[in-house]
Amino acid sequence: MSIELLVQALLNGFGLAMVYVLVALGLTLIFSILEIINFAHGEFYMLGGYVTYYVYALFGLNYFATLGLAILTVGLAGVVAERLIFHDLRGKALNAFIVSLGLLWVMQAGAQLAFGVLDKPVPSAFSGVVRFFGLIMSVERLVVSLSAIVLIVALYLFLRLSRPGRAMRAVAQDPDAAALQGVNIDAVSALGFGVGCALAGGAGGLLAPVFAVSPAMGALPVVKAFIIIIVGGMGSLPGAVLGGLLLGGVEGLGTLFMGSAAVNMLGFVMVIVVLLLRPRGLVGGA
Amino acid sequence: MEPRQPAAVTPTVGVALITLAIAALPLLTRDSYYLDVATTILMNLTLTMSFRLQVRTGQINMAHISFMGIGAYTSALLVTRLGLPFWATLWVGALIAALLAVPIGSVALRVSGPYYFLITFAFSEVVRLFFNNFFEDLFGGPSGLVGIPKPGRLLGMTFNSKLALYWLMAAICVVVVVALVRLDYSRFGLTAGAIRQADPVVETLGVNVFQFKLTTFVLGSFVAGLAGVFFAHYRQVLHSSDFGLEPMVLLVVFTVIGGTGSVWGPVIGTIVMTLASELLRELHHYEILVFGAVLILTMLFAPEGLVALPSATRRLLRRLFGRATEPAGARLAP
Repeated sequence: MSIELLVQALLNGFGLAMVYVLVALGLTLIFSILEIINFAHGEFYMLGGYVTYYVYALFGLNYFATLGLAILTVGLAGVVAERLIFHDLRGKALNAFIVSLGLLWVMQAGAQLAFGVLDKPVPSAFSGVVRFFGLIMSVERLVVSLSAIVLIVALYLFLRLSRPGRAMRAVAQDPDAAALQGVNIDAVSALGFGVGCALAGGAGGLLAPVFAVSPAMGALPVVKAFIIIIVGGMGSLPGAVLGGLLLGGVEGLGTLFMGSAAVNMLGFVMVIVVLLLRPRGLVGGA
Repeated sequence: MEPRQPAAVTPTVGVALITLAIAALPLLTRDSYYLDVATTILMNLTLTMSFRLQVRTGQINMAHISFMGIGAYTSALLVTRLGLPFWATLWVGALIAALLAVPIGSVALRVSGPYYFLITFAFSEVVRLFFNNFFEDLFGGPSGLVGIPKPGRLLGMTFNSKLALYWLMAAICVVVVVALVRLDYSRFGLTAGAIRQADPVVETLGVNVFQFKLTTFVLGSFVAGLAGVFFAHYRQVLHSSDFGLEPMVLLVVFTVIGGTGSVWGPVIGTIVMTLASELLRELHHYEILVFGAVLILTMLFAPEGLVALPSATRRLLRRLFGRATEPAGARLAP
């Protein structure tokens, strides 16, 4: 087997992995601030997909403008969900988990009623392929990966430099201490949930042209995101990036040796192995 | 005056009532649709009761349905391939589910809280993908495992009619209910409740929490396996999606809406929700929508579930009208 084939397989794996990292970052951000697992996270991704379908594919707005709109809309939906549903469930992981299962159903069935059950195709914004060093990548996937990386960097800068971002990190570390320093916990929770959902929405917008848009489209990325955050360590942002790269690499290499069904199982096997060796994930704290 | 406590339903009375209701149903109707719904309720009840056993120690085991699947596929294969009788595979299927639960539980129970339900969810996906994609000539792949025969004769009884299968499921269900209710009212149940509330405290009192949780995990999986074997020979066809996320979430809904604090919670939840599901069947998409909404509202406004509704309502009524009906100054009385 040639080196090029290996590198190409890795590249294929990493390509979409960056988008799944976005979904995972949202999930892990929400977990770090509210201590809850949002099982309905994939449905916010789905919302992002539908915004893209209606605004970009039907209305014809610019692709990147649409992406921004998807991020904003879904972020707003996230804030509403936090205010209405998850607000009182902070720290109650079990109850919140069950509520999010309910929300998953409401949003999926709602989407089926509102948008129909059939897949809706979104035309590709970019065509052609780029070749470099004997490797091939479609322009579309390249743009998708790069956009995802830009969003990840933007999130990093937001959390590092901006006031609300720093407030979020403070709440994630110690809500009581943060509150004593005058951080408005309620506002930070709502904003954090919104930002987390916005990331999922952006991912949905990015992948809408790659896969078709459908009410059940959230299932696959959210499962990948779960794998990523368990492997990386829940609540850890660098862990999510590391987990995403690992998953992408393993899946990419896996396609060389086995069928797609077995590749789908690799991630879960990875979860079980990691939890056996390091129950808190690779970057997880105590 | 202290608010009067509602009379505690003693386990014997409760179990007797359930058994009576199960026995009386065929006297009321022989309609195959109603028998089908009743059988489904009993099957779901077996699953939710065993699921709650684990919820009681704080584990939301998202792989519970997978052990049902393991029991179902094991029995289906043993009967169709090796020609073993149903009455043997009923136990073999459940035992295999319980045996597999030992290593799986040992891994999953190393973590707790959100990690636990994510790892069990990961495991359930592995099982589902395995049934769906591997050994297609055995498991039937995406098109399912078909041609599973109904249970064979036992002591001269045949199990071809809906009624006979109802009685069979009823027998399994009553045994499971009696066993689990007894367990819940025993020292075992007390320990389970204590673990859910304060894991470390129980540990200091000399209970091996890990071993205890593993026991409930394995026991729950055995019961799920039993239900799975019945399911396989009742439906006579198996799909990997029968043991996927959606039926698992339904189990969670049934259990949680009834209330996990009481052993009667899953009973009420399962009966109410299965009936609701049948009534809403015509509505299709709306069924899931309504279920989801009910789940959210229950968790937000009555997290103790339907069993706690009488006392919750009483509390609410007292808060609304209590003060008005009390004579002025009554609150000052010693």
